[in-house]
Amino acid sequence: MITVSHLSKTYYNPDGSILHVLKDVNCEINPGEVISIIGPSGTGKSTFLRALNLLDPPTGGSIVFNGENILAKDYPVHKMRQKVGMVFQNFNLFDHMTVLENVMYAPCKIKKESLETAREEGLALLRKVGLAEKADVYPASLSGGQKQRVAIARCLAMKPEVILFDEPTSALDPTMVGEVLSVIRQLAKEGMTMLIVTHEMKFARDVSTRIFFMNEGIIYEDGPARQVFEKPRRSATKAFVQRIRKEVFQIDDPDFDFPGMETRIRRFCIKYNIAEKCEPAFQACQLMLKEVMSAYMPFTLRITHSELSADTSLDFMVEGLESSPLAAPGVSPAFLEQLRSLCKDIVEEPTTRGFRVKLSL
Amino acid sequence: MKKLLLFFLLILSLFSCSGGSEQGIVLQSEADLSGLRVGTVSGSIYDLQLSSRKDITLQLFNSESDLLQALKNRKIDVAVHDEVVFNAVVRKENGMKIALLEEQAFPTAFMMRKDNSELAQTLTAIQERMEADGSMQRLKDYWLTDRYAQESAYSHIPAEPSGKPIRVATAADSSPISFLIDGEWYGIEIDLLRELGRELHRPLEIKRYDSGSCIMAVSSGLADVLCGCIFVTPEREEQFLFSKPYHSYHPAYFVLDTEAGMERESLITGIKNGVRKNILVENRWKFITDGLWETLKISFLAILLGSLLGVGLYAMAHSRRGWMHAFVKLYNGFIAGIPELVLLLILFYVVFARSGVPSDMVAVMAFALFFASGASDIYETSLGAIPHGQTEAGLALGFTRVQTFFHIVLPQAIRRGLPLYRGQCVSLLKGTSIVGYIAIQDLTRAGDIIRSRTFDAVIPLLVVTLIYFLLVWLIGLLLKLATPKKKVL
Repeated sequence: MITVSHLSKTYYNPDGSILHVLKDVNCEINPGEVISIIGPSGTGKSTFLRALNLLDPPTGGSIVFNGENILAKDYPVHKMRQKVGMVFQNFNLFDHMTVLENVMYAPCKIKKESLETAREEGLALLRKVGLAEKADVYPASLSGGQKQRVAIARCLAMKPEVILFDEPTSALDPTMVGEVLSVIRQLAKEGMTMLIVTHEMKFARDVSTRIFFMNEGIIYEDGPARQVFEKPRRSATKAFVQRIRKEVFQIDDPDFDFPGMETRIRRFCIKYNIAEKCEPAFQACQLMLKEVMSAYMPFTLRITHSELSADTSLDFMVEGLESSPLAAPGVSPAFLEQLRSLCKDIVEEPTTRGFRVKLSL
Repeated sequence: MKKLLLFFLLILSLFSCSGGSEQGIVLQSEADLSGLRVGTVSGSIYDLQLSSRKDITLQLFNSESDLLQALKNRKIDVAVHDEVVFNAVVRKENGMKIALLEEQAFPTAFMMRKDNSELAQTLTAIQERMEADGSMQRLKDYWLTDRYAQESAYSHIPAEPSGKPIRVATAADSSPISFLIDGEWYGIEIDLLRELGRELHRPLEIKRYDSGSCIMAVSSGLADVLCGCIFVTPEREEQFLFSKPYHSYHPAYFVLDTEAGMERESLITGIKNGVRKNILVENRWKFITDGLWETLKISFLAILLGSLLGVGLYAMAHSRRGWMHAFVKLYNGFIAGIPELVLLLILFYVVFARSGVPSDMVAVMAFALFFASGASDIYETSLGAIPHGQTEAGLALGFTRVQTFFHIVLPQAIRRGLPLYRGQCVSLLKGTSIVGYIAIQDLTRAGDIIRSRTFDAVIPLLVVTLIYFLLVWLIGLLLKLATPKKKVL
């Protein structure tokens, strides 16, 4: 369906320096494939996606769509874009139109569909993304998740052959990521061809038939989702998929913003799909702070999560300490009992700079 | 609205009738002016004479009617002007008298550029002939006694139907020198010029210039001959050519006649009489309608042209060529730094002085130049406020670049920019009130012309104000209609 060969994109910065965002991208995209494009930031994922529908025209190479070279001089780009939908990070809904008008507008103006047909189809699409009841409101009154679902419906209204998703959940509040991902999952089930630039590893692993791992301006590794995540062939891929997510809190004195910390921990859990670990994490934190750690300020608290192994832990690290705070005299056995019931495992270990208590959740 | 208007009227009428009884001013000689507030018309011979006197407070006015109004409202104690301008009828109506009539009279004639000696000679010849056959005396008997003012229809020499027009600038809009009624000029000097036209088989094209700028009209070649009670002075004779003086006018010192005691009218009859005198008599409303048309025409064309020029400026500001950016910057700086009136005068008296471009088109150009700068700013703010994502979304759906602009970006930009645009239009409309300086009879000038005939400030100003109010409201209404509909499909 889409054949990309030797695609490159070079930016000339105003200061004269040259930036090779895409160096040599080659791939073949077949109908029905759901491809997630993952990789560190700044490696050209979005640029590649935006090069495919020429929003960011490439500077070299070729893109063949349904047998036609879309980089040819007089190729009608807008005709191609009618078949290649795009969903943006920032939704880009038309703010001066109602939700339904957003969905109907392109079919009416471009395909010259009658108002009735467009309205029926638009409502059907809104129903599909669960927003039929919002048909007549303006986008300004919608939440981010709702806006993105409208954007997907708007894109579907043109009946595209392939949809490009450019980080569809990155601008969303973590609580709203799920509703958007479930709509995309549904599309995947229906066999829609899709390319998705995403940072949602679990989603990418679950929904994709294929993964592009992009690094240094090329497709560094290309393979089935299972293989890329579980047996990555190249070390950079491995380092990326096995990386550990973390949120760090430096607690210096009792004036620390503890309620703010709770919010950040909650966001962290929602963001990495471990909402069920939210409550135990709070309880363990409160218990530790109340019974032990208040005597060890300043210390560092860290919550970590590995997306691949799904291991989550809370680390309490005190600099210059040589023995475990849990082993100090005066720590009640009842407290230790309670702590153990909350955690899978407790590790007490000295580090190069001090001592660490690791609670696995 | 009605209440507001009545209130406004009341305030104005209070001002115009204010002042208590004072002792009358007695003048024995020019020296007695010492310590008094003296007014005259700017650019006149009295302006030159009195400005050297340190012992008086001199106030200059733009027209005879302003001068009279100032005297009536006791802003000045003495008004200095030609005796003939405030004739007996005017003096009686306005409760004033001549305190002192100067012995020395000023010879008065028509003024031309030095290279126009043919016209001067012809005029002189006509005058000499008229003096010989007695028709000059008849003319003076009619105009220079107060006889004409008693008659309902003024004497009038018919105009020549065709030929290259003689361009006449007149500095006076006052009877009996030269004055307008129902679109037609009358007066002693007009009659003399018509004799000239008849002699040369050329019609007259008469334009009223500001007393301050009328000499410029002749020196820049915009007019062939200047009339309007122009005194022959040695300084003027150095630079200009004069025909033979047809008469000598006495300067007079006018003061309020405290004994006459103005009749006080009730507010309602005051307004009634005011409306009749200022609007209905002699079809004076025609000045208003013609002026309104002129104001509308200039504003509309300037907005149209300025909006288009603004598009050009906007495009240049967004072009890839550096020199275009520099030009736009320079242009905007120039427009920001020059007063509208000054640009208007430069265009009219310097740039297009001899090009034959009609004065209303010069005004359109001047205001369009101003409007373009503001309009391009408005395009900048309103288009710039539409996020680039809107364009990208349109393109990604399959709209072409042009479609994306017109279907998606522009409707949003118009909504943002329209209030700014409306403000710009309103300020342009009001700004056009200065076109009187280049001899265009717009709405404001129409009010001035009526005032110069009726010597009444309240009603003409009020009517003109009211019409401007309505126009501003109309602009708002029109632009509201132009706003894209809420429903896009």
